[in-house]
Amino acid sequence: MDLGHVFQVVLDILRDPSTYQAMLRISTPLALAAIGGAFCERTGVVNIALEGIMLVGAFSGALFSYYALNSWGLSESVAPWIGVLGAVTMGMLFSALHGVGSVHLRADQVVVGAALNIFALGATGFLTQALFGVAGATPRVASFDPIPIPLLSKIPFLGPVLFDHTPIVYMAIVIAIGGQYVLFRTPIGLRMRAVGEHPKAADTVGVSVYRIRYLGVLISGALGGLAGANLSLESVSQFSENMTRGRGFIALAANIFGKWTPLGSWLSSLLFGFAESLKLRTQVIDLPPEFILMLPYVLTIVVLAGAMGRAVPPNAIGKPYSKQ
Amino acid sequence: MMSRRTSMVVGLIVAALLLVGLAVGCGDDSSGGDGYKAAMATDVGKLGDKSFNDGVWAGLEQAQTDLKAEVSYLVSEQQTDYVPNLTRLTEDGNKVVFAVGFLMTDALAEVARANPDTFYGGVDVDLADETFTPYDLPNVREILFAEQQCGYLAGLVAANMTLTGDAHEFLNDDKVVGLVAGMKIPSVDRYIAGYIEAVKSVDPDIKVLLTYTDTFDDPSAGKEAAIPMYDAGADIVFQVAGKTGLGVFEAAKDKGAFAIGVDVDQSAELPEVILVSATKNLQKATMQTVKDAMDGNFTAGNWVFDLKNDGVGLSSFHDFDSIIPQTLKDAIEKAKADMAAGTLEPATLVDDTLVN
Repeated sequence: MDLGHVFQVVLDILRDPSTYQAMLRISTPLALAAIGGAFCERTGVVNIALEGIMLVGAFSGALFSYYALNSWGLSESVAPWIGVLGAVTMGMLFSALHGVGSVHLRADQVVVGAALNIFALGATGFLTQALFGVAGATPRVASFDPIPIPLLSKIPFLGPVLFDHTPIVYMAIVIAIGGQYVLFRTPIGLRMRAVGEHPKAADTVGVSVYRIRYLGVLISGALGGLAGANLSLESVSQFSENMTRGRGFIALAANIFGKWTPLGSWLSSLLFGFAESLKLRTQVIDLPPEFILMLPYVLTIVVLAGAMGRAVPPNAIGKPYSKQ
Repeated sequence: MMSRRTSMVVGLIVAALLLVGLAVGCGDDSSGGDGYKAAMATDVGKLGDKSFNDGVWAGLEQAQTDLKAEVSYLVSEQQTDYVPNLTRLTEDGNKVVFAVGFLMTDALAEVARANPDTFYGGVDVDLADETFTPYDLPNVREILFAEQQCGYLAGLVAANMTLTGDAHEFLNDDKVVGLVAGMKIPSVDRYIAGYIEAVKSVDPDIKVLLTYTDTFDDPSAGKEAAIPMYDAGADIVFQVAGKTGLGVFEAAKDKGAFAIGVDVDQSAELPEVILVSATKNLQKATMQTVKDAMDGNFTAGNWVFDLKNDGVGLSSFHDFDSIIPQTLKDAIEKAKADMAAGTLEPATLVDDTLVN
């Protein structure tokens, strides 16, 4: 194998805007779930149920879009929006279960999350079979097409990378920046962080620890649901069983990797997306596929080991709060 | 501290969630008469892949209709489910149990050894020991397909059509075709080897882009794997990736290009982009195995389904029949005859000898 040739091909891939466009697409479900995780964990509630929430969101998105088009007589362009609404709502309802177990009943948050993940996997698979009569995957549903932003999408290089995407991909960028602002620059954000660091202190100054923790959990439900809708209404146009395939856990890692901040979560998701995008593009060079397939993992380890400082979790994370 | 009552409530809720999740997770769809029982354990691609697992299930459903057999399935969520699922189906009194997929090889051998009175059909399973020496078990039929043959036919279609850039708006003048694969396992590699060999036999200058996604159940990954291929000028991409491959069809639709389906005729998935499908007659193989077991004609060992016994083939071109040149149709028939006669034997391994 000619090393110079490999180098040239890799350089071409790195210069190609579509590599970065794919990075943004692939990172979107990870980023949304990770930001949700950041909000939830900042209030002191561990959320390993992200995988299950995403799955519920993906399923609900497809389900609502399907019914909107086929039963409620809505048009093909409106139906996916109903799907998004359904995904966010069902994601919140599902995460409320996590809230009840973890906040209200003070159960072990990891155990509740794990139970919810298993429940989501079984329930969505079962409902697909029950509602559509076919096992494993729903029929194709109305979904989003990319909406290039006028003028901006014409900018060389940056245009296709940033401004030629489906709606939820844009939303992820806005939510990353907006979320960072909310969590670190607003009173409610301060309260959320206070509850996660020192719930007793927050309680004594009149902040309702329970209410704030529920809020954190619900935000993760909404964003996790949106992440799921990205998979079933943008990436592909149907729900298929277990289609999240571990993305919720990668999102959890991205959240920690991003030091429990929305912006950090987004950036680390971009890194995962970049590694994945690179992996899919470099395989066409004549390198052994085994070598290429390990690329995302190697990149992750290198960055984790080298570039990142110590990650300090919120002080009260994982500890149920009781007033007594 | 948590009161005793609260902790009990929590415990009960968690236990209930787990039970419900596990119970519905193992969706078990028994139906039909009280006759001969046959069942399948899916691999992790599960039902709904519109290809591999669904093909075997279609065979069982046919056995239910034609032979009045009582059929059911168990879904494997992960590879650790294989042995429990096969064991449970055996204990449920099934006379024939199908293990679907190469990944189930070791699990099947283990369960079959422990239950010598039950018949097993291992789809894509070729039993071999640690030193890769093949062996057989008296109650296991190893159902294998000559994927290199239908892969070869798919390659003929892809290569010839990519060279006729003016036959359809989806085609271009670049000499590039693609293949999105699932995991690197023998049956997948047989498809790939046949495909590449056929493409190169038509024109050695045609480039075959090949990507392993390393999954069989992630449609998003399949789509992201196919997009760079279409961007690089491929106008036809063959998917050999189970449920992951459904994403390849999505990419074809977005990019205005063709895809080739796998295992069963997948045209109904997205008729406007699926040019043709390379098929394995999973339904026939499954049905035949149930029938043989019922009639007392069960024979163990390797059963290869190929062009000689209508075990593999090419689906119809459906709406695209009119754009397929007669010369290509003739070439397909000739290749079929040659492969059935054994004068044409496509490669079965993806390695350095396969010039790409």
